[in-house]
Amino acid sequence: MQRYIVRRVLQGVVVLFVLALVVFALARVTGNPADLLLAEDATAEDRAHLLKALGLDRPVHEQLVLFIRGALHGDLGQSIRYRKPAVEVFFDRLPNTLTLVPLALAAAIVVSIPLGLLAAVYRGTFIDRVCGTIAVLGIATPSFWLGIVLIYVFSIQLGWLPSARMGGPSHYVLPVITLAAFLVAGMMRLVRSSVLEVLESEFVKLARIKGLSQTVVIWKHCLRNALIPVVTLFGVFFALLVTGAIVTETVFAWPGVGRLTYEAVIFRDYPLLQAVILLKAIIVLGVNLAVDVLYAYLDPRVRYA
Amino acid sequence: MRIPLALLVTLSLLVGGVALAIAADRDTLIIALDTLGAQVMDPIADTRAPHAHYHAPLWDSLVGFDFEKGGVGPGVAERWTLAPDGKSWTFYLRKGQRFHNGDPLTAHDVKFSLERIMSPESISSGAAALRRAVDRIEVVDDLTVRVHTEGVIPHFAASLSRAVFMEGTVVPKKYIETVGVKGFREKPVGSGPWKFVRNVAGDRIEFEAVDSPHWRGTPQFKRLTLLLVPEQSTRLAMVRTGEAGIASIGPEAIKEVRSGGMKIVTVPGTMQAIYQFWGLYRPEVKNSPLTDVRVREALSLAIDRQQIIDHVMAKEARWPLPFTMYRYSIDVDVPRWETWAKTALRYDPARARKLLAEAGYPTGFPMTFWNTALPGTPFMVQIGEAVAGFWEKIGVKVDMKTVEWGVFDPMGRGEQKGLVGTATMFRTVGRPEPSPRYSTTLTSKGPQHLFGDPANCPALCQEADKAYDAVVSERDDAKRLAASNRMIELGANSWVVVPIIEGMGYWAVNPQRVGQFKPIPGRHELGDVAERIPRPDQRPWP
Repeated sequence: MQRYIVRRVLQGVVVLFVLALVVFALARVTGNPADLLLAEDATAEDRAHLLKALGLDRPVHEQLVLFIRGALHGDLGQSIRYRKPAVEVFFDRLPNTLTLVPLALAAAIVVSIPLGLLAAVYRGTFIDRVCGTIAVLGIATPSFWLGIVLIYVFSIQLGWLPSARMGGPSHYVLPVITLAAFLVAGMMRLVRSSVLEVLESEFVKLARIKGLSQTVVIWKHCLRNALIPVVTLFGVFFALLVTGAIVTETVFAWPGVGRLTYEAVIFRDYPLLQAVILLKAIIVLGVNLAVDVLYAYLDPRVRYA
Repeated sequence: MRIPLALLVTLSLLVGGVALAIAADRDTLIIALDTLGAQVMDPIADTRAPHAHYHAPLWDSLVGFDFEKGGVGPGVAERWTLAPDGKSWTFYLRKGQRFHNGDPLTAHDVKFSLERIMSPESISSGAAALRRAVDRIEVVDDLTVRVHTEGVIPHFAASLSRAVFMEGTVVPKKYIETVGVKGFREKPVGSGPWKFVRNVAGDRIEFEAVDSPHWRGTPQFKRLTLLLVPEQSTRLAMVRTGEAGIASIGPEAIKEVRSGGMKIVTVPGTMQAIYQFWGLYRPEVKNSPLTDVRVREALSLAIDRQQIIDHVMAKEARWPLPFTMYRYSIDVDVPRWETWAKTALRYDPARARKLLAEAGYPTGFPMTFWNTALPGTPFMVQIGEAVAGFWEKIGVKVDMKTVEWGVFDPMGRGEQKGLVGTATMFRTVGRPEPSPRYSTTLTSKGPQHLFGDPANCPALCQEADKAYDAVVSERDDAKRLAASNRMIELGANSWVVVPIIEGMGYWAVNPQRVGQFKPIPGRHELGDVAERIPRPDQRPWP
């Protein structure tokens, strides 16, 4: 087991190194932050001074060496825009995203499991089609638009909920719904197909032959087994939300890492962009590793493969 | 019973939260902004205008505003004089000014602030210009400071007003030396009408009103909160629900603001949307139709500016004056150029076609037009599309290339290879003193040098250089006015840099949260206005 973990960690380090090189190169392809920081009537002298002050006057290969050297010591550079260590800026924002993500995951589960179950049990019926429609809507509805519609209905028209920003419990409702809607469709389809598969299995047939009621068969025998693939994908869903909450955080003025990524891209804040992507990658790799380890623990075939 | 109880608790929490959120206390002025810039509380660490939102409430500037007309007025210095030789400026500070920690604001703070903003670690946008301009700074006494300049610079004092640049900001010397830069950025102290309370990265900056009367105006609200809300729809929703009193908007939102029962406050003369031709003096484009002044004039006559004002800008824009000139500009003959603009910038497609025919292009010609928008002005792309549409109508085949500003900006620097012989959208920011823009765009040493560069400076370029030198160094007011008008003439008659509309700053206001107020002409940001914004009962909206 230890060898398995060590192997996975080493693989993660290689992935991070390659990612760091790719991010470093791609960030610089899109332009220079000095061009966005300078006033439009800035002179060549102004530009040269700014580049020097930002450390961007050095050759790219030198910047790369400095970046790699710093990264090995846990220093991912200073944010050009915020004039603070990029790692500090990231961790200032991360808790804001982490308060949103578990709630969105919980909301997605609460909605998608019953819907997936209903769709499977009533396969081919009107209920299945309704659930299918919900799934299609969930996939097809852009988060951006859904967020704005929710704000219009619940904040402007009904006046029940605040439009945006972090705050008390009511501030979480609309962003959580928007973020959860993104997951519900996929999760529901997964539950449905898993339940259908289990419903066809021998042990379920046996349970029915034994005369157990439909409720017991579904809830006790079927659902528990059907949820295994869903639980396995939790890590993926979690990582997806942490890294993919950009739109929701922008619409709801939520100061999380999703919006931070967007800002880093827009302002060509190289160090911040590099830090955000690398740190998110570490989170994703960490979560994946935890899931894999758990999986390997549950299924010895995995660790011997 | 468990489920209803849980529901009850959840609902009460929600309702409580809503009550708290919506009833955002009426003592706090909440302004929702599209950007908070770098959100760094230090004048030397930010480069662009957003800090006029959040630095101005906290810090005063050595030279202030004319709050009514726009442009320059008294600030920390109540008056200033130019030495007989024209090479030094003496600033006389107001008596009794104090920083929020109780320290008196003196000439030593002014000297320290100016030297700090010129220091190598400063990335402030006007720092380089200040370094070029300042020879040394001398403290005459506690309330008098003298700045010796490199040569005669008639507009030096104006450049220390936030109406022009941000480099005149006065910070506390003793406090910074005591707590260090990090300590200062975390807990900044200023002398403005608002004291710093909290800076939450990516979310908000909070201020608290000073206890005593302030020369800029004593705040009517107890607190000021600047919220970062990037999405415009969300900002509008917050104003409609009363979660914010004021929000920054673009012209595309004006109809929604009107229909939603909100008020619109417009700031006149914040920018000019222009188009300009690049490198037409270069030999490699000598055969381009654009090198013919009749063609360039025809392109201007083809544009129906009133249509753009009415439809793209929802009627909230003005007829422009010549390039980089506003109704509050100094050293220019505004009535003369208003008359000129009414006629010369008219919509006259018949005359445009005639001019094209005279130039030998009766059926038009192909041209490349780079469409772009500076940060905070997305409507410029729509203006560019409208302009291209008008050009198409007189037969010009426009190859429009729309690019993001970050991609476009480097193209205009250095060799300008991709731009030579093409037209682009651009803008000029609203400043009472136009010389920085002349320098950038029209002089041979400027980064854009549309008339010529030092190696290839034709007659028009040489004349512009000569006029510019007089604009920035002539001490005689009448001669300087004449030089400035000549500079405008050169720009106007060349049709190389052509104004499209004079843009405004736009704000959506909830009339139940905020009373009627007047912004400073030319200054889009409200950082210097917040203390004069009344409560709704103090000055209700009509």
